[in-house]
Amino acid sequence: MLSYHQKRFLIVDDFSDFRSSVRSMLRELGVKDVDTADTGEQALRMCSQKAYDFILQDFHLGDGKKNGQQVLEDLMIEKLISHEAVFVMVTAETSQAMVLSALEHEPDAYLTKPFNRSGLAQRLERLEQRKTLLKPILQALDRGKPVEVLNACIALCKQDIRYSPLCLRYRADALRDLNQNEALERLYDSIIADRPLPWAFAGLGKLLFKRGQVAQAKGVYEKALKVFPMMPALYDGMAEVLVAEGDTKAAQRVLEEAIRLSPLAVRRQALLGKLAMANEDFDTASKAYRQAVAQGAQSRFKDAESNLGLAHALISKGSEKGLDTRTRLEINTTLSAVAKENPSDPGLQIRARLMKATSLLLNDAETAEKLTEQAMMRLDGMEQFMSAEAALLVAKQLQMLGQASAGASMLKNCAEIYGDDPTVMKGIAKLTDDPTILNSGNAAADLNRQGVRVYKTGNLVEARQVFRKALSLQPKNISIALNMAQSLLHGTDTSVPSAELEECRTCLKMVGLMPDTDARFSRYQKLRSKAFGE
Amino acid sequence: MNNSEQALDFSTVIASTVHDMKNSLAMVMQAHSQWLARLPDPQQHTPEQGVIEFEFAHLNGMLVQLLGLYKLGVNQMPLQPAYHELDDFIEAQLACHQDVFASRGIIATYEVDPLSPLGFFDRELIASVLGNSINNAIRYARHAVLISVSDEAGQLVLTVNDDGEGYPPEMIERQADYVQGINHSSGSTGLGLYFAARIASLHQRNGVGGRTEISNGGPLGGGVFSLYLP
Repeated sequence: MLSYHQKRFLIVDDFSDFRSSVRSMLRELGVKDVDTADTGEQALRMCSQKAYDFILQDFHLGDGKKNGQQVLEDLMIEKLISHEAVFVMVTAETSQAMVLSALEHEPDAYLTKPFNRSGLAQRLERLEQRKTLLKPILQALDRGKPVEVLNACIALCKQDIRYSPLCLRYRADALRDLNQNEALERLYDSIIADRPLPWAFAGLGKLLFKRGQVAQAKGVYEKALKVFPMMPALYDGMAEVLVAEGDTKAAQRVLEEAIRLSPLAVRRQALLGKLAMANEDFDTASKAYRQAVAQGAQSRFKDAESNLGLAHALISKGSEKGLDTRTRLEINTTLSAVAKENPSDPGLQIRARLMKATSLLLNDAETAEKLTEQAMMRLDGMEQFMSAEAALLVAKQLQMLGQASAGASMLKNCAEIYGDDPTVMKGIAKLTDDPTILNSGNAAADLNRQGVRVYKTGNLVEARQVFRKALSLQPKNISIALNMAQSLLHGTDTSVPSAELEECRTCLKMVGLMPDTDARFSRYQKLRSKAFGE
Repeated sequence: MNNSEQALDFSTVIASTVHDMKNSLAMVMQAHSQWLARLPDPQQHTPEQGVIEFEFAHLNGMLVQLLGLYKLGVNQMPLQPAYHELDDFIEAQLACHQDVFASRGIIATYEVDPLSPLGFFDRELIASVLGNSINNAIRYARHAVLISVSDEAGQLVLTVNDDGEGYPPEMIERQADYVQGINHSSGSTGLGLYFAARIASLHQRNGVGGRTEISNGGPLGGGVFSLYLP
């Protein structure tokens, strides 16, 4: 007989009565190894020290605390629990918790309070059985081997075809990890044609979007939202599509809908803040960023960008007379946190100071000047690239703070790094009329395009020459440097030293100064691991 | 002046009160079972105990249903369907009522068609419908309750059978009225039927919606509640 008696249990609940009640139920069921935790943080610490087989996690652990969903996300992302472990979300009201859950990290089961001993015993026995049935799949997941996951799914379905629906999600995730896009699309289509599942819609939408089929992705989300109007993840996908189409107003509305359904979502709030800023809806932006900051305190998705965004929204909202005391206090608190929590990030130190200086411009010019000076000193010594967005705001604020030449050099730098991106150039054009900045990248961008064409013909020698010439004009340009590095790596044996390899490594070292939020960062990492053999 | 006070929506007030009541009840049930565990064995199994357990389950079921009806009313009922193992699902529903079955001397059994071990539905919602129906069956059953799961022309059919007197004939005749919410006069059973039918109809496949049916007879000769899910 299958048995969970020898297993290790962890009960996480903020109510001591509940913990002791469940503990005694488990004891009566013959379970000996039972630990308890009263907060998510404690649960995470305990999971990092002991491999639990069963975790009974209360969903709501009190206001201002990590909730059960966040604990689950942390456990999965930090790989603190095996896929073989059973994670049960205990809730007072399950449908609510399910709406708040993220599609990518679902618990193995929900258990609604109140439950009795027989109810608990039944769930545990069955979950144990299910995990045993799926064991080969789960072990392959723990090893991070999608091919083995697929094979295990095939084996299970062969053994008993009736259980094939239980494998659908594992198969889809494995195909996604293997980038088998055609097979994945067929699988999603067949699932949706048979029994629409929310994750299949979300997955298909994401897949189409990733391949640039934006209109098709939109169609999928439209259809999905008709069937599952309560699924926040589908609104997220729709908002992404609308942003890609350039309709930030509609994207904001869709995201607001998702937040109405599920307000506890740090990344969603931060994204809403960003969209609302783009739409110059500073009220919504400050509210969303404020939520992102507050919720971020307990979350792994805490992000200094939300603090800066909050300050920026509050400043933008302010009147011509300056800001009231309360707003200034909030800006001060939120920016101090950035400076304090990121001591070794020069970009954030500079941006926090300039943001604060901007907020004080009308009310306390003296302090504003001091902060600007501090920021400019750090700016001089800064090697790393800021994101284009951050750099543009810094340039704008430098201009506002009376530092026109520092602003101009910021813009020039930005044009060099990101000049091949027309959106960035448009942003730069809003801040300057200087033709030497606006046209600085043209020649290099032309050469870069020409290099790509030559590269595609297979003429490596000529392609490298063209890229090299482009890079000499704009040495910090990320796109050109990546193309240069790729063309050098192509056909080069990285196990023996060569001039090509040396040049490639130099190139990558420079481009490594880009922010890790850049869309090209993963391409950089791939080239880097090839070139340095890591 | 202050519009927000006037705009106080009574159904929302009720819903949030019901929510608190449900939490309160959960605490009472939990404290009760802890207290019970400390009593000597004979005192744990008194007839009063059976009444308490049954009414706890009944109260909880009604509160869940009330919250559900509110959500249906404001269109906030999320359907979260997935594949579920049917024997597990039925067992879980019976396990919740285990103490009541024991105290009333009712034998509860289930049958699942081995050819279709998985069902596709919203576990929470169907569990609340089945829970109410089991509670109702317990009220009228003499000795036995049977849940059977079968496949009828591609539809999943869940039935709750008891060996009691069965539904009154006029209720069976006029079940369509209950389902449409026209006649709620017969109290909790009528409301339960309405709730069940609404939940069933949320489950759709290729334009076919789920439905409910009540009848008499079945393998145990008493009331039969059937839930059809496409």
